[in-house]
Amino acid sequence: MKLSDFFENSYLILIFSVLLLIGNANLWDNELKHDFPYGYLASDAFQHQVRAEAIKDAGNFRLEANYISRSFENAVGRYPPVIYHLAVIFSYLTKLEVYDSIYFIVFFLASLSAIMMYLVIKGMSKNAALLSLPLSLLVFAGPAYIGFTWGHWPSIVAQFFLVALFWSIYRIELEKSFLLIGIFLAAIIMAHTSELVFALFFIFVFFVISFAFKKIDFNLLKKIILGGILALMLSSYYLTIFRYSWFVAQPYSFAVKPLWEGNPGFYLVNFQLLLVFILAGILLSFAKIKNMHIAFLAGISMLIMGFGNYFGFDSRAFQLRFFWPVYLSVFFGFGAYTILRFFIKKWNLIYSILLGAVFLILILGLIKIPYIPAYQKITTQGIMDSFHWEGLKWLSEKTPEKARVYFFYGDIYSQDALLRNSKRVHFLVDPNDFIDNINKRKISREYVTELPGDGGGGIVYRKGLFSFGDYDRETDRGYFFGKKDICQFDYYVFDKVSSQQVLAQYNLLIANELLKNNFTSVAFENQVLVILKNNNVGADCIEERSF
Amino acid sequence: MKKEAFNELKRESIYIGALFIIFLIIFKIIFFKESFFIVLRTVFSIFWLFVFPGYSIMLYWNEKLDFIERLVIGVALSAAVIGISSYYIGLAGLNIKYHGIILPLALMIFGIAITLKK
Repeated sequence: MKLSDFFENSYLILIFSVLLLIGNANLWDNELKHDFPYGYLASDAFQHQVRAEAIKDAGNFRLEANYISRSFENAVGRYPPVIYHLAVIFSYLTKLEVYDSIYFIVFFLASLSAIMMYLVIKGMSKNAALLSLPLSLLVFAGPAYIGFTWGHWPSIVAQFFLVALFWSIYRIELEKSFLLIGIFLAAIIMAHTSELVFALFFIFVFFVISFAFKKIDFNLLKKIILGGILALMLSSYYLTIFRYSWFVAQPYSFAVKPLWEGNPGFYLVNFQLLLVFILAGILLSFAKIKNMHIAFLAGISMLIMGFGNYFGFDSRAFQLRFFWPVYLSVFFGFGAYTILRFFIKKWNLIYSILLGAVFLILILGLIKIPYIPAYQKITTQGIMDSFHWEGLKWLSEKTPEKARVYFFYGDIYSQDALLRNSKRVHFLVDPNDFIDNINKRKISREYVTELPGDGGGGIVYRKGLFSFGDYDRETDRGYFFGKKDICQFDYYVFDKVSSQQVLAQYNLLIANELLKNNFTSVAFENQVLVILKNNNVGADCIEERSF
Repeated sequence: MKKEAFNELKRESIYIGALFIIFLIIFKIIFFKESFFIVLRTVFSIFWLFVFPGYSIMLYWNEKLDFIERLVIGVALSAAVIGISSYYIGLAGLNIKYHGIILPLALMIFGIAITLKK
């Protein structure tokens, strides 16, 4: 191995290790195995974890579990399946719990995206590629990091395959490269289908530039067409489900949305001073438009589509921005390299590695410089805690499969996907009605109740090969949300502690009232919650009164 | 040609072995609170699920691509093929608990076979 190769490979291993460290290991308190879902900061993260868990239980993803699909038994598995299958297989191999394996897979593939992008950029300039790498660290800093902690995992995995697609187009001259193009396109479709639009836009830009400068020949065109056909063949079964679920429930509609409601979006200004190099790189890349490299086309395409929130792509465009530090790294590296070459004529590979190391130190925040965005260490157990997890596990393991569980108020239950870890059809008291009852000093038999679950893409079921129904549309709204008689449930979950203790006190008041009858008993209890069992469902379980 | 391929495989097997040890050390450093056994099992699973199958298939292009490029893209290719095929094989009735053994093994055999045939 040549010395320069040794330095280059060592540098790649260093960057990859740092990415895993700051993305995954730091958040996870430097452990791989946890006692409960660790570092989960939003409902969507639990949504994906639970679905993978359900696939592990079922052995396949033919159907969505009933506790995910709002009690319906035969809803088709309609989410893009790739991330879940990888997570379950990885869980079996490592013996890690699914909640750890799925999160790890996301961090691992995201870290590898930076190295894949490096390989694409290297085809244009090894020096620019080396300089570009440290920018990728910003996927784990600032607002982009919510892509991980808030659970935009399928999108991240699809974007990993998107970078792989860039590489396959960059290497299109390879024999049978259509196989690579087809497989990566299919993986995008089956990891997070909306990223297909970004992939197609990139291919469109590639065609436009190639045609404009007469760079395309029939052979290249044939490979892309064959790749497309292969992708369609590989994903056709899933695409049929997608066509009758997501495509119907969330069709494209034009809208201008500068802000991502409820989310801290990533914006170009988040690059702060580093934006100077990125903009310089973009401008300088146009000087090479006749021989436009795939890395530039990828960067430009993803920059444009990242602004898709201004033409109807809404949250999908903001999700794409999570990976801007990877996509736009080509401009950063190229801009920095070209500017520095202006001052240092005899550039050496070692200079690139050393300068890359300087950028690495700055972006890691080891030396803080104003207006240079830097990583900030976050270590948090997240929303879940061992007590709630113990209660949820108890419900999933010790109660009959058909049991219906009622959750009274809990601080963390607003992130309702975590309740699916009970693996039972569950209901949740509406906090507004709950507080209203407190204000009226009233104990009721009926509370406004939500039947939480995942209705994204509709809750579709098969009627025939190309015929689907949708429980979500066909069912009366009152089934999902409205007054419910609490005596109709098998189990009740009461939190004993809350950030607003009055809410927990009211919980315990109801619990004690239920225990006054002779058929409700304590089934499980720990420091944080108590679970009651109703042994006579439907009977008069509580006396309505004032307090 | 077959002998050349075998020699290449032998030489690069040493690189992969070295990479395995490097990754084991790195993982033990960054996940320093974790037991060595869990770290070892995790790194081995990464190699079994992503690195070995991906590398085997990418051998087909070994004349055009260097080792690192094949290795990295091989991981993506393996993730894609295993993710997609696991979905369909599961629907066909084979429980997912077996996929972690069968699919990587099948890809490795397939990859080496097409390289030797080439």
